[in-house]
Amino acid sequence: MSASRDDFGIVIRSALLQRGAKQKFSLFFLICLSILIFFLDSFPSKIMDKTRSLLNDGIYLTSSIATSPIKFVTFLKDKTQDHIFTYQENKILKEELKEFKKKNFQNEFLLTENKNLKKAVDSSQEVLESNIINNVSAKVLLDKESPFLKSLILNKGSRSGIRKGMPVLDQNYLAGRVVEVNYLSSRILLLNDLNSKIPIIVGNSALHAILSGSGDEYPKLEYLPEGFELEDNSTVYTSGKDGIFPNGIPIGKIFFENNEVKVKLFSDSNQLSFVHVILTNSESNKF
Amino acid sequence: MAIIFKNFKRQFVNLGPLILLYFLAITELDTEFSNYFTILSFNLQFVIIYYWMLRDPPLLGNGHVFFAGIINDIIMGLPMGTSPLTYLVTAFVAIYIKNVTVKMTLFTDWFTFIIAIFFANLTYLLLISNFSELSITYSSLFYNSLFTFLFYPLFWVIFNWYGILTGIHRND
Repeated sequence: MSASRDDFGIVIRSALLQRGAKQKFSLFFLICLSILIFFLDSFPSKIMDKTRSLLNDGIYLTSSIATSPIKFVTFLKDKTQDHIFTYQENKILKEELKEFKKKNFQNEFLLTENKNLKKAVDSSQEVLESNIINNVSAKVLLDKESPFLKSLILNKGSRSGIRKGMPVLDQNYLAGRVVEVNYLSSRILLLNDLNSKIPIIVGNSALHAILSGSGDEYPKLEYLPEGFELEDNSTVYTSGKDGIFPNGIPIGKIFFENNEVKVKLFSDSNQLSFVHVILTNSESNKF
Repeated sequence: MAIIFKNFKRQFVNLGPLILLYFLAITELDTEFSNYFTILSFNLQFVIIYYWMLRDPPLLGNGHVFFAGIINDIIMGLPMGTSPLTYLVTAFVAIYIKNVTVKMTLFTDWFTFIIAIFFANLTYLLLISNFSELSITYSSLFYNSLFTFLFYPLFWVIFNWYGILTGIHRND
């Protein structure tokens, strides 16, 4: 019994400490180093922040260069697919056109609905424009999927005036918020990430709630008032209650699934290539 | 000249797994397929580290495993040190299994891989939930571990084939 315990100890010690002729570091040393780095990074300090910011900028840039062949291949594949399927697409479109022509009787109804929607969009646009003073356009540098984190890296950072907490728009729709700022780059947290919480208002009602990411495609509404009444397809806007996000930014349309109110986002996170960061007077400590 | 070329080719071939590990860490290329199937994602880095540490630890090198983890943390936005720790735990289990096993087969590798995934993801879970503000879903972590385990034989066959074809496994 004692001998087998000794053997176990020897094997563990050997696995942790042996380096062999070609290895420079033992596993034990590197595990200790990782723990040290983790705790240094977890507790805010100026030196660590600056080191991380420098490392981030350097690695994001290298990563962007290393990824360019993959992006080029994807671009070529998409273009080739478009080219191959043009004839087929044309046929489908012609069929669809025929179908639409048949549906002339619905036109009147659609026109009225369109007018109403336009009114809603115009009013939200006015609110948005009155709130947005300045914005910075940025390119999506990296879009690495992860089962645990939904985030993107932008090619603009503190040099362009970006600060932590600022809202990010895809065209006129909310896409996420800035969670990490380096000198030349920044990271945005998408609305469907588990860590994303945004105060919202539903349609023109006075119904306030929190849009909470669930890790999957559609975020859900939380903290709705008791006995709430919501219509399917109502539009969700930012409420601006946090004092950081401007109010009236369209986010998506609601739908019901498994007794939960979910939101189908206007902004498709898989298709993002350029975004606008709104330069508000945000304070990171509010998050 | 022919000898120099042969040596260079051999060195380049030996670097294959290491290049793949760095490439996965630094590029957009990932093994997350939620767009096609919601729960489908796996951790190829774990497979690479476990397989090659079992076969030939100096081929990857502890330092490179650590550095690939640091790069992965920066790209993924995780607290620095999280991935290096999980990778090193995987490497530790692999070296331990290598030290206590006489003959390695697909099945012994595959079933001992469960221990490596379990301890690596436990480390990840403990660090993230106790020392960071990030939230993670246990279900996605579970599915990720499950598919990493299920896909191991496939990559075992590919890496084994690579090893035999390139002569890395000649001395096994």
